[in-house]
Amino acid sequence: MNRPPMLMHVKVQNKERNFGIWLPLFLLIPLALVILIILSPLILIAILILWPSGWGRWAWLSLQAAFASFWAIRGLKVDVENNNECVYISVI
Amino acid sequence: MTENKKKILEMLAQNKISADEAYRLLSAVDSGEGGHDNAGHENTESKRTAVKAKPKYLRVTVTPNPEGTSSGNGGLFQDGNVGRVNVRIPMSLIRAGMKLTSLIPPEALDKANKALREKGINFDVRNIKSEDIEGLIEALGDMEIDVEGAKGEKVKVFVE
Repeated sequence: MNRPPMLMHVKVQNKERNFGIWLPLFLLIPLALVILIILSPLILIAILILWPSGWGRWAWLSLQAAFASFWAIRGLKVDVENNNECVYISVI
Repeated sequence: MTENKKKILEMLAQNKISADEAYRLLSAVDSGEGGHDNAGHENTESKRTAVKAKPKYLRVTVTPNPEGTSSGNGGLFQDGNVGRVNVRIPMSLIRAGMKLTSLIPPEALDKANKALREKGINFDVRNIKSEDIEGLIEALGDMEIDVEGAKGEKVKVFVE
């Protein structure tokens, strides 16, 4: 099983600004978990209400896909540079 | 260490080739040596199978022509100038992205099928199953796209 992303490094460099930030994703995971636990009854009720119309399944799949995408983002690296600007995003 | 490997490392030290190219050349030398040496052959084959079985990242790189002139004023591809691009996408993210296709409403799939039929492609996109997608992702391990543009920029798409 993949390990969840721990840190995200975002860096933007151009003539006017030089900006870089490390986002501690490992701190967001417990926070998101707590929010999910608090909201889970509401989410469950919403899914059950929407299920007959077909949107409930869609909502459930969306949640799954969002979670899977977040979990799989570790290792992503985007490095784009031209003469004047450089954008770097890395997920560790 | 063979002479070929030494030469590759020397070229890397002299910045004549990039680290990626050196890795690729060393792998090629390794596989070539495997053909002469039986024990080495088995080892190389098992390594190659392991690499094929588990492609981890999809890499997209765009390298501009180092001798090219730059007259653009900021845009990445402005005035025909090509910037440097280096993107590494985890295969697990591609798999997760493929799961998003299940969110496409059936009406949209019908429209896609209709558009494909109009183009002469008789294919039902609803027939694509998760096993097919998994096979497709595994097959990406054999893919390598290497294109050199008119302005000397190099575009590479490969799996590592």
